[in-house]
Amino acid sequence: MNEKLIIGRSIETGSWVHKLDARAKITGMLLYVAVILLSRSWMAMALLAIFSIAVMASTRIPLKYFLKAAKPLRYLMLFIFIVQLLSVKTGEAVLTLGSWSIYEGGLRLGAFSVIRMFFLITFTALLTFTTTPGKLNQGLEGILAPFKKFGLKPDRITLMISISLRFIPTILDESQIIMKAQASRGADLKELPLKEKGRMLVSLLVPIIASAFRRAQDLVYSMEARGFRMDAPRSQYHRLRWGIFDTIFITMFIVMGIAVALV
Amino acid sequence: MAIELQQVSYSYADRSLWKLTALRDINLSVPLGSMVGIAGATGSGKSTLLQLFNGILKPTEGTVKVLDVTIQAGEKSPKLMPLRRRVGLVFQFPEQQMFEETVEKDLIFGPLNFGMSLEEAKARARQAMLDMGLDLALLERNPFKLSGGQMRKAAIASVLAMDPEVIVLDEPTATLDPISRAELIRLLERLCREQGRTIIVVTHRMDELLPYADNWLVLKEGSTAFQGSVKALADDPSILEQCGLTVPQSLRYWRAVADRFDLTDEAPRLTAESLAELIASLPSGSGNSSEQHEGKRDDYE
Repeated sequence: MNEKLIIGRSIETGSWVHKLDARAKITGMLLYVAVILLSRSWMAMALLAIFSIAVMASTRIPLKYFLKAAKPLRYLMLFIFIVQLLSVKTGEAVLTLGSWSIYEGGLRLGAFSVIRMFFLITFTALLTFTTTPGKLNQGLEGILAPFKKFGLKPDRITLMISISLRFIPTILDESQIIMKAQASRGADLKELPLKEKGRMLVSLLVPIIASAFRRAQDLVYSMEARGFRMDAPRSQYHRLRWGIFDTIFITMFIVMGIAVALV
Repeated sequence: MAIELQQVSYSYADRSLWKLTALRDINLSVPLGSMVGIAGATGSGKSTLLQLFNGILKPTEGTVKVLDVTIQAGEKSPKLMPLRRRVGLVFQFPEQQMFEETVEKDLIFGPLNFGMSLEEAKARARQAMLDMGLDLALLERNPFKLSGGQMRKAAIASVLAMDPEVIVLDEPTATLDPISRAELIRLLERLCREQGRTIIVVTHRMDELLPYADNWLVLKEGSTAFQGSVKALADDPSILEQCGLTVPQSLRYWRAVADRFDLTDEAPRLTAESLAELIASLPSGSGNSSEQHEGKRDDYE
């Protein structure tokens, strides 16, 4: 199960993107979303594709890992394509089947939606692939820091996020262990008929939720045992440092945005 | 043979960046009705090996034969349900193995899945509780409300209730008190010698299993470092040190006595009682000169 779950796992290759400040990467991703929304022509799409693939390749992470990140959403993409294809009725009719026609506009908008979605997912996977969760959180905290004036508590938010993220693999591992224990005693999900499968999955929920609560309780105790207090000033293990490459990284996205808006 | 492994390797997350090889080229045969101990430093692949025995994990290379079922790497494995009825696996952490609301439900889970009637399953659950020395009143309790030792015993009971022919235990004595530890080992010995079941135990406390196990397997970083009889291990326990383990006291005492009295063909005595008996039965004057010193000291008194 864990082998398939690659979103949210960092892959260390030591490339220049890995070494960037997490704040720069988060800002870059936000700009990228804007760039995607701005691109409205085939030319812009082509530029976007070249840019995205070039940056992804520069992380030295095999491209198939980016593809794997988009794989779970393939049916959603197909669905969006079909909806656009059937509902948009601009331009010339390309194909007519009885009373149904497929128009050039629908084809184009459908393709754009899919391309946008595909690059949005694969490219933003870059953020989690190249940044460890800890650094990601620190970056988020840094980006949210200006909002302290409005009563926002960035450290609380990031603590919540980091703990919840940390729990995902733990809970997955735990459910796998319980499934192993059940399989050992004659209830293997793979070998059960469909109806039984559903019943087994439901019976998995109770012990998994119970164990998540137990773990949360343990975590609270261990944090308190080590003197953790909310809102207490704390030093940081990794310091955020903004360097020349971070500025270059952000500039790349701005230039890309302008280029896409112009063509 | 109850279990036979031929050139078995196992890698977690095979074919990915996170690939981690836990076992390399393991050959192993466990005869029916024997008791086998498995030792090795932490992370040497012991727990992974156990999960191959009932098909929870499938080998990434090689062939695993358990009873009459063959699981071959790269091939679709046969239905494993019948195998799992006959091979009971006790996991390392009892809190990960219990998942029902009451101890009784947990104990009858296996038997019911393997087609026993409710009555029969409940009877087996009771018997297993008694075998493990647990109070029957605990049957109604939530397994997570038990103490560590009780939970461990209940987890073992839940496997015993399935009446398996091969019982595989991953550090079963880890959280038990000394009395329960000795009782559990005696129970396992009874299951093996009187009922002819095959028992495989992973342990960090080799001392408690040494007097009973027929064979030992010592793992080092996923490979076999030693495989053979207790006698072979007792003849040269230094292999354990090479694997990052300390040589158990019983082996050290036996070695000291055997070396001094030159007992090369004797079966190793690995309990305090049997060793004392042997020493007492040795003819006086045998061995070496130090005994004569003792004789002289007697003269002085």
